[in-house]
Amino acid sequence: MPQLGVSIVEGTVIRWLVAVGAAVEADQPLCEVDTDKIVTDIPSPAAGTLAEILVNEGETVEVGTVLARIGSGSAELRAGPVAGEDDSAGGAAEIVSPAPPARSASPYYSPVVSRLASEHGVDLASVIGTGRGGRIRKQDVLAAAQANGGDAPLHTESPYVPEPEPAGQLSRMRRAIGAHMKRSLDTAATCTTWMECDMARVEASRRGAKASSLLGVTPLPIVARAAIDALAEHPALNATLEGERYTRHDAVHLGVAVSLGEAGLIVPVIRDAHTLTVEELGVAIRELARRARKQQLTPDEVRGGTFTVTNPGQFGSLMATPVINQPQVAILDLEAVVKRTIVIEDGDGNDVIEIRPQTILGLSWDHRALDGAQAAQFLGTLRRRLEAWNG
Amino acid sequence: MPEMTYLEAISDALREEMRADERVFVMGEDVGAFGGAFKVTDGFAEEFGEARVMDTPLAEAAIVGTAVGAAVVGMRPVCEMQFADFVACGFDQLVNVAGKTHYRFGLAVPIVVRLPSGGGFSGGPFHSQNPEAWFMHAPGLKVVAPSTAEDAKGLLTAAIRDPNPVVFLEHKHLYRRVKGDVPAGAYETPMTARVARPGSDLTVIAYGAMVHAALEATEELGASVEVLDLRSLVPLDTEAILTSVAKTSKIVIVDEANETCAAGAQVAALIAERAFEQLDGPIRRVASPDVPIPFSPPLEAAVLPSVDRIRDACRDLLDY
Amino acid sequence: MEALSRADRVELLRAMLLMRAIEARALALYKQGKVPGSFYDGFGQEAVSVGAAFAMGPRDRLCPLHRDLGAHLVRGVEPARILAQYLGRASGVTGGRDGNVHFGDPASGVMGMVSMLPDMMCVATGMAMAFKLRGEQRVALTWFGDGATSRGDFHEAMNWAGVQRLPVVFVLENNQFAYSTPLAKQFAVDPVERARVYGFPGMTVDGNDAEAVFEAVRVARERALAGGGPTLVEAVTMRMHGHAAHDDMRYVPPELLAEWARRDPIEQQERRVDELGVDVAALRAEVDDEVAAAAEEALAAPMPDPAHAVHGVFATGEPEPLGDGRAPWSGFADEAAARAEAAPA
Repeated sequence: MPQLGVSIVEGTVIRWLVAVGAAVEADQPLCEVDTDKIVTDIPSPAAGTLAEILVNEGETVEVGTVLARIGSGSAELRAGPVAGEDDSAGGAAEIVSPAPPARSASPYYSPVVSRLASEHGVDLASVIGTGRGGRIRKQDVLAAAQANGGDAPLHTESPYVPEPEPAGQLSRMRRAIGAHMKRSLDTAATCTTWMECDMARVEASRRGAKASSLLGVTPLPIVARAAIDALAEHPALNATLEGERYTRHDAVHLGVAVSLGEAGLIVPVIRDAHTLTVEELGVAIRELARRARKQQLTPDEVRGGTFTVTNPGQFGSLMATPVINQPQVAILDLEAVVKRTIVIEDGDGNDVIEIRPQTILGLSWDHRALDGAQAAQFLGTLRRRLEAWNG
Repeated sequence: MPEMTYLEAISDALREEMRADERVFVMGEDVGAFGGAFKVTDGFAEEFGEARVMDTPLAEAAIVGTAVGAAVVGMRPVCEMQFADFVACGFDQLVNVAGKTHYRFGLAVPIVVRLPSGGGFSGGPFHSQNPEAWFMHAPGLKVVAPSTAEDAKGLLTAAIRDPNPVVFLEHKHLYRRVKGDVPAGAYETPMTARVARPGSDLTVIAYGAMVHAALEATEELGASVEVLDLRSLVPLDTEAILTSVAKTSKIVIVDEANETCAAGAQVAALIAERAFEQLDGPIRRVASPDVPIPFSPPLEAAVLPSVDRIRDACRDLLDY
Repeated sequence: MEALSRADRVELLRAMLLMRAIEARALALYKQGKVPGSFYDGFGQEAVSVGAAFAMGPRDRLCPLHRDLGAHLVRGVEPARILAQYLGRASGVTGGRDGNVHFGDPASGVMGMVSMLPDMMCVATGMAMAFKLRGEQRVALTWFGDGATSRGDFHEAMNWAGVQRLPVVFVLENNQFAYSTPLAKQFAVDPVERARVYGFPGMTVDGNDAEAVFEAVRVARERALAGGGPTLVEAVTMRMHGHAAHDDMRYVPPELLAEWARRDPIEQQERRVDELGVDVAALRAEVDDEVAAAAEEALAAPMPDPAHAVHGVFATGEPEPLGDGRAPWSGFADEAAARAEAAPA
């Protein structure tokens, strides 16, 4: 079936003009075919006898199909280019795209490999490359990062790379934060438990703090210290969960959420926070916040946390549903301390109304690793410690 | 949902728009009484009348120029160059009049110029070109190149409704060879890219006929290869490109057009500039060498990017 | 000309005076370094653009060229905006996007030119094609020079207009020179004779007689409206200044200039209008004052904001076609009245 037009792919035999067995001359019309565009006859490619008709009247076949055989079958009635049937140019000149440039003998790291190694804290010298010539590839770095276990990063992208964004789009950092939050909510079975807490003693402690101390700024360092102590009693919450792998940690590497205003938020980690006093925690928090706002945090300082505290209460909110900081299993939310009228028992066992500074402690926790009773117990321990706080 | 060929989808878009909007009309050589060299407008003159399916003189500059004139007094002309190659004769009107008018005067020029493009059937140097890069380079022109029947209909509709001059590349090789489900009724396809096949190990970026070649070349490579169909060259879907690069870090770009300054060259520059830190290997390009497309089958086959050449480039980069 | 009222004839003169005064002022500013780029004018050719534009109705559409400033003035574009356009100011007709006479205010029904000549012949043909497709009583008109007739677009447009019998008027502004190229080197056969070969009439008219130009175009327009198709009107005139301000015209024989200077189109019209008892001097003074004020306004206008340089390449939303421009000929008022009378109550 000939190709009668650049876009034609098939044709129909309308009628045979010669019968099988009849003699034919070269160029003699043998049959009529119809394509989308035109009806035409097909001339014989050779003189001889029409030996066999392979496509009958009314049949539609693809371009290139053999329609009939002439003579003893040596001449085929077929027209149009037939793919694959080739003569001399079987190995037609190959146009080959240039091969990638040869590399030097010293280790070469592609841009993505360098970046990922830095972000994940992977030492490339220790990675086996599976690429050509032993080159370390993207998947090798990612595999090494996975293998390092609890060193999974909080963000998969450096938040500090400046990039001009067209108006109307989220900044790169926003998108990174958003992706992390979304991933957390998609991964964890996030639940939140709240508990009221009397902050009278905490407030008293803050008022009594030395003028030069940083404790007076917010109750956060006190709550942080109390939370660390509570974690010692409830180690199930000082843990990470990655996929099926649940790991409790002895050390408390405490993440503290720092707001960067419109730019977003970041969670620097105080390593070995359990070894620090309240004052030392206050110093560390303030220092990390300061460096965070100046974009001076290193990647090491934003990963490896085992538990996180967030304190949006300084802006006046009462309750919230914080998002767990992957791959941790819980996050503590400290909201505003407000004066409320509460009912307490006096020394004689009577109910009296008093005005006391109160706050609502919130804990978001992952139901895959914990249950409500554990969450409530942790909060209960934390409350006890705060309500009995003694400086 | 009806199944249509790529060509039928183009006809369908034209028919729907002409029925819905009396300002839309077709103009070109042999489009009326003859129904078009490729039969895209077969039956149109009967339905819409000869005036609206205009058989023009053989005059590409005037086809484009008169279309501009008609457009600025309220019509929506859809002109056809019989072969994409002949747009060279109307280049001046398209680039200098149509493309530059809105920028200078705030005057919109809503025309569509349909270009039956591409090779693969011994069309030779003057019937096989892919000239999209000329027009990507001209400010004020939009350029689209569908690869599927569904997109052919949707993009042509979008082009007709666009208030700007749109160059519409319809690949001749796909006219009857590509079929697909095409929604009935009028719809617009956005001028964005489309993931033809998602993957994670490597991305092949292509458009037009090369999308099909890319899909075939990467079907059984034993790797997860993403194929990104650009669909629109101006505007170019930068976000889709960069997202794919971030995902796979290995890129092969395929142009059926001649290599130097083809659309793929722009895509490669964009990736090198904006996604350097995502790359795990050099950006590879597969394109026709810088020669006029030859006529004889073995010569043409050696020039146009083949499934094998695309597959080899992918295999090579995957191994890197 | 009975078609022209007294007021019309004054208006023809006024528009020509305005064109000359604006171009004179712009040339001065150019020499003072305030007009960027190059400077082109139509000195001595004012009747061709003013006369022809005067015959065009409000719904007709025009494609003028660089020596046709008069057309923009007839259609209602303000002198201050034109001078700002030359000065490249934000308030210029194109806001600095294109320069000198490369402008067209869409609201006035005029599409601005491109430098490739005569591309606009094809565009005007297309406008006429649309009018005919829609069965509208409207005409398109374009100007082009003797040099432009040598390029392919001339042939394509003439042929197309003739084959489709379109309502378009082609005004060939024969000013004897295309830059330094005289007619003898431009064509072997007078283009006006070639019109016949494309299937429609060509006629020659004195390009320095505004009323003759008006009449020729008026008749051509009538023919087009009656379904008679295109007309080529050759307006013979002389380019009295160089191709551009940077051209000293040394290739033009001085006798030729002297001869044409005696036939200045403005002086001709002044004589006519003077005979009607109009105070020509007062008119001149009025025009000069108007241009002086316009120049002051234009010079005070700010340059365009560079931040906008990359905006406006693409249109968004529903495209707006060219609008109706001013059409001061009294005949159009009569036409409108006649239409209103004929319309059913």
